[in-house]
Amino acid sequence: MDLFLQYFANGIVTGSTYVLVAVGLTLIFGILGVVNFAHGEFYMIGGYAGVFSVSVLHLPILPAIGLVLAAAAVVGLVAEVILYRPMKNRDATSSIISSFGLAVVFQNAALAVMGSQPQRLDLDVSRIPVLSHLPTEFGPVFLPQQRTLLPVAMVLLIALLYLVLRYTWTGLSLRAMAQNTTMARLCGVRVERVAVVTFMVGAALAGIAGMLMSSIFFVYPIVGNMIALKAFTVVILGGMGNVAGAAVAGLLLGVTESLTSAYISNAARDIVGFVFVILVLLFRPQGLFGRSVDRS
Amino acid sequence: MKSLLVSLGTTVLLVLAPFLVGGYETNVLMIILFFVILAVGLDLVSGYCGQFSFATGSFYGLGAYTAAIMSRDLGTSIWIHLPAGALVAGLFGLLLGMPALRLKGHFLAIVTIAFQTIVYLVISQWTSFTGGQVGLTLSNPGPVRLFGMTLFELGSLRSYYWLTLAMTVICLTVAWRLVHSRLGREWIAIRDDETLAAAVGINTTRGKLTAFIASAALAGVAGVITAHALRGVTPNDFMIWTSATVVAMVVIGGRGTFIGPIIGAVLLATLPELLGRFAEYKLLIYGMLLVIAVTLFPDGLAGLWQARRVTR
Repeated sequence: MDLFLQYFANGIVTGSTYVLVAVGLTLIFGILGVVNFAHGEFYMIGGYAGVFSVSVLHLPILPAIGLVLAAAAVVGLVAEVILYRPMKNRDATSSIISSFGLAVVFQNAALAVMGSQPQRLDLDVSRIPVLSHLPTEFGPVFLPQQRTLLPVAMVLLIALLYLVLRYTWTGLSLRAMAQNTTMARLCGVRVERVAVVTFMVGAALAGIAGMLMSSIFFVYPIVGNMIALKAFTVVILGGMGNVAGAAVAGLLLGVTESLTSAYISNAARDIVGFVFVILVLLFRPQGLFGRSVDRS
Repeated sequence: MKSLLVSLGTTVLLVLAPFLVGGYETNVLMIILFFVILAVGLDLVSGYCGQFSFATGSFYGLGAYTAAIMSRDLGTSIWIHLPAGALVAGLFGLLLGMPALRLKGHFLAIVTIAFQTIVYLVISQWTSFTGGQVGLTLSNPGPVRLFGMTLFELGSLRSYYWLTLAMTVICLTVAWRLVHSRLGREWIAIRDDETLAAAVGINTTRGKLTAFIASAALAGVAGVITAHALRGVTPNDFMIWTSATVVAMVVIGGRGTFIGPIIGAVLLATLPELLGRFAEYKLLIYGMLLVIAVTLFPDGLAGLWQARRVTR
C-alpha cells in the first residue's frame, strides 16, 4: 500500500506536466482551431532556457522562471506567425503539416545548437526560500522538493489561468473567440491579438513545465516528441478545447502510466496512453467528459 | 503517350546507370528509389484519398522487420519476403484504417502518429523478438533459384539496385493502375466530398480501407528490399522522422498528383548528397521546406507547374 501511494504520487507529478502542456494545446485548438504539433517543442525550449538561466547565468529561481516564460512566449509568437496568420482561410490539414514541419525545424535546430547529450537542470532547492522548508516526506511517500514544485506550480498556474479566463476582458475575448470567431470579431474582439496571446500563454505554460521537469528528468532535443503525443492524448481524453477536462485527464494519464510501469511493465508505460487514445477516439470521440455535439 | 516515352526513357537510363556511375552513386540512386516507392504509396492515401497519415515509417519498418525476422527464423528468401512484407504491412494498414474510418483531420493525424510511435516502441523494446535497439542483421543470401535452377547471385550492390529498380517500376505501375481505376476515382471522390461520394453510392468504407491497405503494402515492399539491400534493420530507421521525410516529399512535390511525390522524393533524397558537410542538417532543411511549401505553394511543385501551364 505504501508503495502504491508512492507510485500514485509520482504519477501526480508527471501528470502535472501533462496538464501544463495539454492546457496550452487545448486552448490553442479550442480558440484558434490550430492543431499544434510543435507544442512539445515549447516544452523542450523551456527546458533548455531553464538550464541556460540556472547553470550558465546562475540566476535565482524567480528570475530564471521569468526568463523561461519570456523565451517560451517569444517562441510561441514565432509559432503564431507561422502557423496561424498565413493559414486562416485554409483547411485544417495545412496547419497540421506546417506545425509538423515546424516541430522538425525546432528539434533539429536544438540538436545542432545544444547537441544530443541530455542535460539536466541543477535546481539547488536549499537556496530557494519557501521551497526549502517543505517536507520531503508525506507519510509513507517520499517526494523531493523539485518534484513537489511541479504539482504546486501546476495548481497555481491553472488557477491563475482560470481566473484570467473567467474574470478579465482578455479572458472574455478568448472565450468569445472559442465560441464563434466571426461573431467575436463583430463584437469588437481583436482576433489577431487574441491569437498572439493564446499562443504565448500556451507556450509559456509548456515552457514552465519543461523547465521544472528537467530538474527531475533530462532535457534533450527530441524530448518534446513524447510530451506532445502525451499532451494530445490528454487533450483528446479531456475533449478537444476543454480546459477542465484536460486538467483531469492529465493527472489521470500520469497516474495510469505510473501504475502501469510499476505493476505491469516499464516498456508498456508509454504505449498504454496511445492505446487509450485510439479506443477513446473510436468509442467516445468527444472525450471522456465532453458531450457529443452534432454539426453538419 | 509523351509521358509513357519519358518514363520508358528514364527507366532505360536507370537500368544502365550502374555501368555509367560508381558504386556510391548507385547506392544513392537505390535510396532515392526506396523513397520514390514510399512517397508514391503515401500519396495514394493522403493525396488521392485525402486521409492524412504520418505512419509511413511504421509500415516501412513492418515490411523490413518481416523480412529480417523471417530470414532469421525460417531462412526464407527475398521472393517469399516480398509478398509477406506487403501482406503484413497491408494488414496493419487495415488495422490503422479501421479507426480512420470514423476520424477526420487532426484526430486522424494524431492516431497515425500514435500508431507510428507504438510500432517504433514495440520494435525497439521487444528485444527477444526484434533485436531491440541493436536491430537484426540478414545473412548473406545464397544464389537466387527458380525451380531448382540457379538464376543469378543476389549479393552485389548492382543486383540489389536492379531488383530495387524492378520493384519500383512494378510498384509505380500498380499505383498508376490503381489511381486510374474505378477505385482510384472513388478515392478522389471521397477526398473531394465524402458526403457526396456516399450519396452517389460509393462505398466510402471500402474506399478508405483500400487506400490505407495499398499505401501500407507499398511501404512494406520498400521495407523488405531495404532490409535485404542494407543487410539489416535497426529501429531508428523507422522513426517518425522517416514519416516526416516522406510527408515532406509528398507535400513539396505535390499532393494528389502522380509525378509530384516522385519529384519530391528525388529532390529531398538527393539534397543531403548535395549539401556535403551540411548533410547533418538535412532534417532541419526538410522541416523548413515543408513549412514554406505548405504556406506558399500548398499544391507543391507539380501544382505550380500545372498552374503555369494553365495560365499560358
